[in-house]
Amino acid sequence: MFRQLRARFGGPLAAAILALLGIWLIVMVTLPQLQMIDYSLRPNLLPAQLGGPEDNWTLANYVTLFNNEIHRAIFFKTLWSSVLVTLLTLMVSYPLAYYLAKLASPRQAALCILLLIIPFWINEILRTYSWFIILAFRGPLNEVLMMLGLIDRPIRFLSGDAGVMVGMVYAYILFMVFPIYNVIESLDDNQVRAARDLGAGTLRTHRRIIIPHAKPGIATGCIMTFMLAAGSYAVPALLGSPGSRWFTQIIYNWFFEGGNWNQGAAYAFLLLILCIGFMSLVMKVFKVGLGDIAK
Amino acid sequence: MDASVELDRVVMRFGDFTAIEETSLAIASGEFFSFLGPSGCGKTTLLNIVSGFLTPSAGEVRIGGEAMAGVSVNRRPTAMIFQNLALFPLMTVFENIEFGLEVRGIDRKTRRATSERLLALVALEGSGPKKVTELSGGQKQRVAIARALAVEPRVLLLDEPLSALDLKLRQHMRVELKAIQRKTGITFIYITHDQGEALNMSDRVAVMSAGHLQQVADPMTLYRSPQTGFVAAFVGENNRLEAKVIDQDGERVRLDGGALGELSGRGTAPTPLANGAAAALYVRPEHLRPVAPGQGLEATIEALHFEGAWLMLETRLAASGEKLRVQLGHELSRQHLEALQPGRRAHFGFDPEDAVVLADAGGPALDEATGEVVEGAHV
Repeated sequence: MFRQLRARFGGPLAAAILALLGIWLIVMVTLPQLQMIDYSLRPNLLPAQLGGPEDNWTLANYVTLFNNEIHRAIFFKTLWSSVLVTLLTLMVSYPLAYYLAKLASPRQAALCILLLIIPFWINEILRTYSWFIILAFRGPLNEVLMMLGLIDRPIRFLSGDAGVMVGMVYAYILFMVFPIYNVIESLDDNQVRAARDLGAGTLRTHRRIIIPHAKPGIATGCIMTFMLAAGSYAVPALLGSPGSRWFTQIIYNWFFEGGNWNQGAAYAFLLLILCIGFMSLVMKVFKVGLGDIAK
Repeated sequence: MDASVELDRVVMRFGDFTAIEETSLAIASGEFFSFLGPSGCGKTTLLNIVSGFLTPSAGEVRIGGEAMAGVSVNRRPTAMIFQNLALFPLMTVFENIEFGLEVRGIDRKTRRATSERLLALVALEGSGPKKVTELSGGQKQRVAIARALAVEPRVLLLDEPLSALDLKLRQHMRVELKAIQRKTGITFIYITHDQGEALNMSDRVAVMSAGHLQQVADPMTLYRSPQTGFVAAFVGENNRLEAKVIDQDGERVRLDGGALGELSGRGTAPTPLANGAAAALYVRPEHLRPVAPGQGLEATIEALHFEGAWLMLETRLAASGEKLRVQLGHELSRQHLEALQPGRRAHFGFDPEDAVVLADAGGPALDEATGEVVEGAHV
């Protein structure tokens, strides 16, 4: 790498680039992570006890999760809800991606993509607040439904998980639509025509031809959406009810309210392990490698 | 099984553009029928109308006597072989061939038996478990044929399927396609811009230009007796000499060739030519031969191209300055080689039976320099 850089930029500049890269990787990425791992493996001690006989490495912080029934429940609820968010996002995104890639005229597709992207120019918190307003007990959605006579009294969308689901599907839809759009667009139209010509209906054409082709994109979208959902803080904090807490909120509490960084770091790593586990599972199920996803 | 295809006053418009002008045509059951024309002439549009991918703006398609209006692509008794074959790359050869049977709910055992039989038909025994991406171009071609035949179509539609193959393989596949068509008795509708393919395989050929059927005939008639200037120029090679009609007696037309003197040939158009009308005489390079001085057309030889099996001479007529291409077979070129060097003058004659006379009335024609079709300026 150095040789290539030197050939292009000359010795001193190449050295500077590599040094900056090294500093960034070591000081900004690796060391803080190691520090956090170190935190997570030590008990939470008073400053006076640091370096004392009790300051030993222990897995106690990790074990806490499995002994604390409430935290454990929230951990698995976060897992389950993130899977659900991923599935819902996939269900909304696949038809949209197919429409954009194969059915829409270039003008329609451009307009549609623009409409999808514009809301993302706004900060995530503001977008989530707007859903808070829309879904509120006396908010516009309830008003409209009542006006149409579909419901008699307003629905409490924001109690339970519904609000969080809606907010997350909305927040992460682009991360699902674009990878799927990209792969479907690369599908030769004649493949679909050939399937039709051989007698396949719409469903079978999707099941046997389009979805198998779109698999790497679907896997990428699912992994990204799951990671973002499991690691989300703003959406559950704003749209969730007391009964629908997210694991990230527990981590936050350990760090900033409990003041127990050691415990918080252990919880954060457990969430990371969960995400990596899910990612490997998806890659296995879809039979795609890291290379396919990086495309 | 009636596998006839009828086009009844079919018209196809895209916005203001008319891709297919009103066209009626009956293709017989079991016929090998080709549409031949340059790219953009509407032949692929016509194929898509038969397969159901396009709905005609007007008119009707009937297959086996049944109207196809409202019958969607996946319910028509047709199967298509695509130009790029469109095999399913994620499936094995077996899965590709059996796809249409799977759709029809046929059980696994019967499916496998059918695909084995079809693989034998296209000489690909044992390739079933392979991935299609492992196959060579010719093998993919055969899988595409087997996949289309698996659904037992009454009509097989072929959209320039051989265009991606190299010359030898293409010639070989022509023979095989023809053999498969004979064996199965299915109606083949073949789209091509390659006249060799069309003439070689077809029972009948329709020559198309600019959304319009120029002539429908068996290959020999098409070659021997073109009825329009476009067909004369597009099918095979032709020299075109402008002249005026003196008179027509039966098929025989006498022409006043101006500086070239009196010429004569066969009038092949259905309506006789009017005396004095502008006409064009078409004579193929291979129908010209060296004759003794004082006879035939005098020309200066400009270039000489050796093509292997024959010799092609580029000459210019002494009297009119028009170009004349002459093709000489092995025998003649050996006899006359010495006299046929560039710069020399020679005389070339032809049998009036081999020359075709058509009214010189515009219509689309072939631009000789570029090989592209140009709309006739003089109508």
